[in-house]
Amino acid sequence: MKRRGFLAFMGMFPWAASAQSVRHGRVKLELPVLADNGNSVPMKVTVESPMTEADHVKLVRLISERNPERQMAVFHFGPRSGAAEVTSRVRLAGSQTVTAIAEMSDGSQWMDSAHVQVTLSACVDES
Amino acid sequence: MTTRREFLKISAAVGGGLTVGFHMPFASAQPQVLSPEINAWVLVRPDERVIIRYARSEMGQGSMTSAAQLVAEELGCDWKKVHVEYVDTNAQVRRKRVWGDMASVGSRTIRNSQEYLRKGGAQAREMLVAAAAKGWGVEPGKCKAANGVISGPRGRKTTFGKVASAAAKLTPPENPKLKDPKDWTIAGKPIPRVDIPDIVAARIRYGIDAQLPGMAYAAVAQCPVFGGTVKSVDEAVIQGRRGVMKVLKFDDTVAVVADNWWRAKEALKALPIEWDAGKNGAVTSDTIKEFLRAGLDAENDVVVAKQAGDVAAALKDAKVIEAEYYTPYLAHCTMEPMGCTALLKEGRLDVWTSTQNAEASHAAAAATAGVPLENVYVHRTQLGGGFGRRGGAQDFVRQGVQIAKAMEGTPVKTLWTREEDMQHDFYRPVSMTRFRAALGEDGKPVALYSRVAAPSIIATLLKLPLKAGIDPQAVAAIADQPYQIANVRMEYAQRNPHVPVGFWRTVGHSQNPFMRESFIDELAHAAGKDPYAYRRALLPADSRERKILDATAKAAGWTKSPAKGVHRGIAVTEAYGSYTSAVCELSVSDKGAVTIKRLVLGVDPGHAVNPDNILAQMQGSSVFMLSALFWGDITIKDGRVEQSNFNDYRVLRLAEMPKVELVLAPTGGFWGGIGEPGQASIAPAVCNALFAATGKRVRSLPLNKEGFELA
Amino acid sequence: MTARIRIPKEAKRGEVIRVRLLVQHPMETGYRLAPDGVKVPKNVIRSLVCRYNGVEVFRAEMSPGIAANPFLEFPIVAAESGELEFTWVDDDGLKGRATEPISVAG
Repeated sequence: MKRRGFLAFMGMFPWAASAQSVRHGRVKLELPVLADNGNSVPMKVTVESPMTEADHVKLVRLISERNPERQMAVFHFGPRSGAAEVTSRVRLAGSQTVTAIAEMSDGSQWMDSAHVQVTLSACVDES
Repeated sequence: MTTRREFLKISAAVGGGLTVGFHMPFASAQPQVLSPEINAWVLVRPDERVIIRYARSEMGQGSMTSAAQLVAEELGCDWKKVHVEYVDTNAQVRRKRVWGDMASVGSRTIRNSQEYLRKGGAQAREMLVAAAAKGWGVEPGKCKAANGVISGPRGRKTTFGKVASAAAKLTPPENPKLKDPKDWTIAGKPIPRVDIPDIVAARIRYGIDAQLPGMAYAAVAQCPVFGGTVKSVDEAVIQGRRGVMKVLKFDDTVAVVADNWWRAKEALKALPIEWDAGKNGAVTSDTIKEFLRAGLDAENDVVVAKQAGDVAAALKDAKVIEAEYYTPYLAHCTMEPMGCTALLKEGRLDVWTSTQNAEASHAAAAATAGVPLENVYVHRTQLGGGFGRRGGAQDFVRQGVQIAKAMEGTPVKTLWTREEDMQHDFYRPVSMTRFRAALGEDGKPVALYSRVAAPSIIATLLKLPLKAGIDPQAVAAIADQPYQIANVRMEYAQRNPHVPVGFWRTVGHSQNPFMRESFIDELAHAAGKDPYAYRRALLPADSRERKILDATAKAAGWTKSPAKGVHRGIAVTEAYGSYTSAVCELSVSDKGAVTIKRLVLGVDPGHAVNPDNILAQMQGSSVFMLSALFWGDITIKDGRVEQSNFNDYRVLRLAEMPKVELVLAPTGGFWGGIGEPGQASIAPAVCNALFAATGKRVRSLPLNKEGFELA
Repeated sequence: MTARIRIPKEAKRGEVIRVRLLVQHPMETGYRLAPDGVKVPKNVIRSLVCRYNGVEVFRAEMSPGIAANPFLEFPIVAAESGELEFTWVDDDGLKGRATEPISVAG
């Protein structure tokens, strides 16, 4: 996702107080490169953090580029998590870039993106 | 033949990733590892052979050649040294989709990939030149590349092959300079397709041609009523039949695996199968028509696709011209029926199939076998016809892999009969449209109302949410019609009968322009105006529609009267980013026997990469569309398709093919498709000519049900 | 609504363990067409909470973007023996609950 498009996209979410402050890094979003249909796509997101009271991941948002509901999920963590990591299965309405944004206890925001090609909908996807 | 010394030199250059000796049965491509890759699109061999990679599919639409022309143009190589190679889907997965989209659908191959293909060629050229310049100790700017030869200052010369390894080590330039299409010497030329020699010499391979040692064959029967299931199978009846290896029962499919296909098919024929027809055993073509007509009248479950002005007010108290149009289900009828060969062995899956999207086949195969993407290999071949059947729906791949999974360790070729293929298609949707219009004093329409009642491919096949409930394919050419009319209201009633629908060549533009352009013709007639002049006056002066309409009418000699007994029809529409128009000249006997004298097809695709291929596509489009127009009709009885083979689903024969005249008028500034747009204007041009000849307005297809036959 | 919970049989105090949960729920998007052609209304599990001896240690707010039969795997610090309790509610207001004893040594 190009930066200008990303900022405009993030502007849709009131909680992204300052979209400019979301930095790439510390977050690793894993999704398969290809998915047959978008119904059940394995997803794992991991965030580097000591997960102490003083320094931990508060939450991770999963944002879709194309789903009717752009915010796919929000996962809440804390010092009792031990690690900031979640594995699940997502549903994608067509090929798209999925973004994971982690909010830290110090207010900073970090992100990673991954593109999934949903091959069933290739007929109507713009290339 | 590469000598051992050359091999070692090259392998040293390639570095890591040398994988000689990997098992690739039925390989159609040479192993790529001995040639340095300049970038993902271009490899150059020491013997000057240039390998250009092609990611999408080749089903006779010629894009494999056109795409390579674009790369070769910017690369500046000798076209005679070019060899086009398919992209390997396994490499695509491992290299994080470095080749981008692999689908040949939506007439998108050239228009969507032209920029990065040209960049790929230009980038490779700049790297080769930079390598030569570096070797000579001169500025790259002082060197030129043409025809595979690099020339430098003071008469220095070298060839691509000699500097390829060095070039492969350089950093690819980010923004290579592209040539102006005005300067094209390879692209833009009617170069013969690269696969012609193989086709002529019978070396070409299609998915169906896969042959593996120890291969088993599977014949399949799917429930004849869509949505039905297998109730019971009496295996005992075919017990002990020669060659039969296994009987497989899935939800809605029964497969017999044998040591040759004939035995599999005969055993399947003899196998008693009890089907549970499910809820749709009473559906007929008539009940479907009623269902759609109810959609045209309904107040609920209807969305507005386009609105301007106040149609209700404009139509009130006016003389309203009203018409209802109908187009039937159509089958794809690819010459090569559906099938898939697969081998699941020790956690690795190999697939051989004809597909319009090798990536989709790869993903579908992996998901069905439960094997990681990295362990799947889809072996690329030409397709014996696609027409949209082999793009989105990868049902034949899932089925072939399911069967191979049940026969793990043994390669299995699953192949459908023509009957199975025709009765288990994803059909071009049925559609019913109601138009209502009122004309002003000057005869121009002041209001146009239309409602389409039709299934949604996107909602049912792709299972994607529709924005505002609108399926753009179902309302194509009607919601976005180009005529300047002050009051318009366009509605869509999504109605999904149980018949599976899919993308048939030209999709919504295969039927909606027939409906729209016929209705516009009705308005022209009601206004007492010439159909060409009428359209011309309604199209914006600077529109590309008007330009192509003018060019086609001119080529057809519209303003001069045709010979006695010969009548003309005209149509214009945009489709897949290109602008098309058609004029048909025909004569009709009093028995309704139609002789098409001329078919003049105009197209403005923005740029023309291979004019000869564009002509071929227009000719092919004519065959496909004329077949559909005169005879195409998939009818339903007892919930199942009645047609089975070419005896009851007729297609055009060689002797019936009319001459197609092409008006190729690319106006530049954009890139439009060619695979599908050609069909869009044909049906209305023919039907409008039939009206001019007989006074009978065709509002329902096919023509043989309206009293017309091809002479 | 049935749910399956998987955690290690035994954990050492302070160890970070993985908790796996699978809930049976269609997670209807609201766009799916039933065989009769009518849209199945939207119904997804919105909020799912994991409590460890009464204290929230993980929460997931979900949408139709989470696949049917939601699967979640996440870490927790094995602090003490006791019980993990999962509670959730869907768009229809249907509540679900599942528990799993956790055994922590040391």
